[in-house]
Amino acid sequence: MAKRPAELLKGTLDMLILKTLELEPRHGLGISDRIAQITRGTFAVKPGSLFPALHRLEQVGFIAATWGATEAGRPAKYYELTPAGRKRLVVEQRNWARIVLAVGQVLEAE
Amino acid sequence: MPFVARLRSIRNLLFRKEQLEADLDLELKAFVEEVTARHVARGMTHDAARKAALLEVGSLDAVKDDVRRARLGNSLETTIGDARYAWRGLRRAPGFAIVAILTLGLGIGATTAIFSVVNALLLADLPFRDPGRLVMVWNDVTFGGYGRGPLAAAELYDLRQRSTVFDGFGGIWANTTVLTDRDPEQIRIGLVTADFFTLLGASPALGRVFRLEDDEEGAAPTILLSDALWRRRFGGDVSIVGRTVEVDHGRSTVIGVMPAGFRPMLPTDSNVPDDLQAWLPLGAIRSGTAPRGQRFLRVVGRMKPGVTLGAAQKEIASIGEQTGREHAFYGPAGLKLYGVGLHAESVRETRPTLLALLAGVGLLLVVACVNVAGLLAARAAARTRETAVRIALGAGTGRLLRQYAIEGLVLGAFGGLAGLFIGRVGLAALIALRPSTLGRIDRATLDPTVLAFTAGVALTWGLLLSLAPLAEIRGVTSASPSSARRSMRGLRPGLLTPYSRRAALVVCQVAVSVVLLVAAGLLGRAFLMLVRSDPGFSSAGIVTFRVAQNWARFDSPEKVIAFTRELRARLALLPGVTGAGAISHLPYDDGLPNWGTPYLDEGDNNPANAGTADTRSVMPGFFEAVGATLVEGRFFVEADAMNALPVTIVDDRLAKRMWPGQSAIGKRLVGDPRTTGLPQQTVTVVGVVRHLRHRRPAIEVREQLYYPFEQAPRNPMAYVVRSDLDIGRLAPLIRQTLAAIDPGSPAADIRPLNDYVDSARAARRFAAVLAAAFAAAALGLAAIGVYGVAAYGVALRRRELGVRIALGATRRRILGLVVGESTRLAAAGLGIGLLGAAAAAVSLRTQLYGVTAFDPISYGVAIPSLAAAVIVAAWLPARRAMRVSPLESLRAE
Repeated sequence: MAKRPAELLKGTLDMLILKTLELEPRHGLGISDRIAQITRGTFAVKPGSLFPALHRLEQVGFIAATWGATEAGRPAKYYELTPAGRKRLVVEQRNWARIVLAVGQVLEAE
Repeated sequence: MPFVARLRSIRNLLFRKEQLEADLDLELKAFVEEVTARHVARGMTHDAARKAALLEVGSLDAVKDDVRRARLGNSLETTIGDARYAWRGLRRAPGFAIVAILTLGLGIGATTAIFSVVNALLLADLPFRDPGRLVMVWNDVTFGGYGRGPLAAAELYDLRQRSTVFDGFGGIWANTTVLTDRDPEQIRIGLVTADFFTLLGASPALGRVFRLEDDEEGAAPTILLSDALWRRRFGGDVSIVGRTVEVDHGRSTVIGVMPAGFRPMLPTDSNVPDDLQAWLPLGAIRSGTAPRGQRFLRVVGRMKPGVTLGAAQKEIASIGEQTGREHAFYGPAGLKLYGVGLHAESVRETRPTLLALLAGVGLLLVVACVNVAGLLAARAAARTRETAVRIALGAGTGRLLRQYAIEGLVLGAFGGLAGLFIGRVGLAALIALRPSTLGRIDRATLDPTVLAFTAGVALTWGLLLSLAPLAEIRGVTSASPSSARRSMRGLRPGLLTPYSRRAALVVCQVAVSVVLLVAAGLLGRAFLMLVRSDPGFSSAGIVTFRVAQNWARFDSPEKVIAFTRELRARLALLPGVTGAGAISHLPYDDGLPNWGTPYLDEGDNNPANAGTADTRSVMPGFFEAVGATLVEGRFFVEADAMNALPVTIVDDRLAKRMWPGQSAIGKRLVGDPRTTGLPQQTVTVVGVVRHLRHRRPAIEVREQLYYPFEQAPRNPMAYVVRSDLDIGRLAPLIRQTLAAIDPGSPAADIRPLNDYVDSARAARRFAAVLAAAFAAAALGLAAIGVYGVAAYGVALRRRELGVRIALGATRRRILGLVVGESTRLAAAGLGIGLLGAAAAAVSLRTQLYGVTAFDPISYGVAIPSLAAAVIVAAWLPARRAMRVSPLESLRAE
């Protein structure tokens, strides 16, 4: 039972990462900036969670990585959504909606 | 995870580790640079910015560790999770787990035990060097009723001289001799050509095997001991090599000891038994002049490397043909030699039995697995709600599929482990109970091939079994919990309801059991026919023993004959003895080579017309003692002596063929009582006996010629004593009697004649008993299956049954309803099973003796046994159905 919230969070982080890559490829710092931005600072993703999540998603084939250069010309690894990742994002969003709804109903029912 | 991505990630994990590490290094470095740059842009000094950046990232090593774990974990995590889930599932339902694992274990264990025997005997190489190059050579004397005859020494000589594709040919001939120093003992020996062991590629445990010099004329006599004889008679003394022992009153030097477990591995009908006690050189075969009618050598050749069996066979046949043309002896029939791979030949007789048993045990495994599938389906049905919740929480079909597959594999793995244990016990039992004709079973072990086989069977069945719950939840996949509830009640509409699915499985199970029942019935009936078949003699109350007279002391025929007459006279005087006689070959004794000689009708001078008959040398009193049936004429008497009129007794088959419709008495044959290879002595028929079955049932039956011992002496002779004394009291008397006449001619193998009869049938009884055990197990499992589906049916129809009872259905009617439903299933299974059984029976045909493949009794017996099992199985659920309370079903709504 104690593990449940952590798992939920992990799943949520994956979904958030996929979401930030929906429009354009980003590098690690760019992703964490964007997450902080869209959640208005609710989630500050630390490198210790960010990188494992990125690598996991890459390994599963939802995102793909290429080396590129930042605006300042420094090398950085850029991540982008793969078609599988795009599909996954849709599923995750739908699931999320269902969970929110279900949890909402449970809370109301109590 | 998509399949390709999974493969790629596994490859990366395995082979691209360094590259991944370097890449991760760079990525983290770039990240730190980027954060540093951002701080610098906000006005920090470079050093301070870098420090702040590193502080934000935290320990780089820790991050890397986490990344690595994430990568690795992803591939394993879900699998381990599923396995853990499966394990928890088993732990939660220990009853289910124990029943499922034990059922699987029994099926897999029985399969493992039988397969290990098949592996050792049929699949594993013979225990010789490069055994694929060994070829057994036979002499096809079909016209003499002998398709697999031995070769004459001259024929072995021809093979050796003319062959180009063989390294050599060796010969062996089984016989007996006597160890005459202290405590004389008759032993079974193999007389071999000096190259026999080197050709086989068999090495001694001590000393050496024979060398060519040992075969030279005038070479010092040598002997090679078996491990068993060395341990028993010579106390396992390692200094035995080089010492001499007394063999038939001459000194022979022990040159070596063969390792324990060494066997010549020749086919059973070669009459070269596996348990020879010593080997002696045969003496040189240096020319082709030995009589070509004296066929006694079993010949094994070793092909040169790279030679195909086909080429070797062609050469053997053509040498035979060539030789046949060159010697007038062979006449128009010629000489037909042929070669067969030694391995194929050595298992020729046991292969059909073993394959039939393997098929049978495979069917048993199917029946067992169907039961487990039923259990799994029931459990999955009970868990539909849980499954529906998992689906609602986002578990995809793939995920569920994988989970069930892993559950199946976990179950299969435990079943496999249980099976290995049960298989080990089963194999030990098989080895302990094996009949002597299947002695080689003891080579079977759970070797890596068997372990791989067992693992393969367990995991394959595990995966197949995982389909059972899958079928059960198929309708639930898109389900909400409410539809899951509906499906639990079994009311979900569909082509195949869970009930009909399980019923179909049970029908299969019944069908397979019927196949096993019929097969076991056929084998059992064939065995009974064998037991009931009249061998032409009675073995009850007869004790036998062999005496090999030592020729050194009995150096004239008169002395030999005097000895035998005295022995017979003294045996007849022993208390309780009602008959005594002797014969050269005991019925069903395969330890001695068969004796066949040619014969011609008097007046026919063409040796090519000669028939060959199984020939036996017989002393007066033998036929009477074993209760042989005299068709006409008389048995042998003391007056049929050395210098009296040469006479013979023939069996009814020979008489019928030679003189159909006439009396054979007084007819004359040209026979060969002294085994020269040619019919050369005229003998007068004085008696006709009913054919005596004296070779094993698997061997073709030939006509028989009996000569009086004094006109056709043989050594050793086997004595038979009919008596009401049991063997324990008779044996010492026999030993004393012999010692009183000549202490140097000991009795060997004092055994009841029944022993030989039993061991001739033992292999068939063994197979029949195993088949019966498989069939009984399958029937029991099928009954459990019927019970399961009947109970399930009653549970599904509880309400309906309640309503029926409320509307006045009698208990009898309810009972009939449930039992009737089970009977319908069983009848369907029976119908399919009988068809399958007929197909199986046809392939069993070679195993059946005196029973046709469509023996109505064997098929008939399957039906009542099945009916009994089904009624017992349906009884409990039916009683439960009768007790359904009508009120309960009304309340349930």
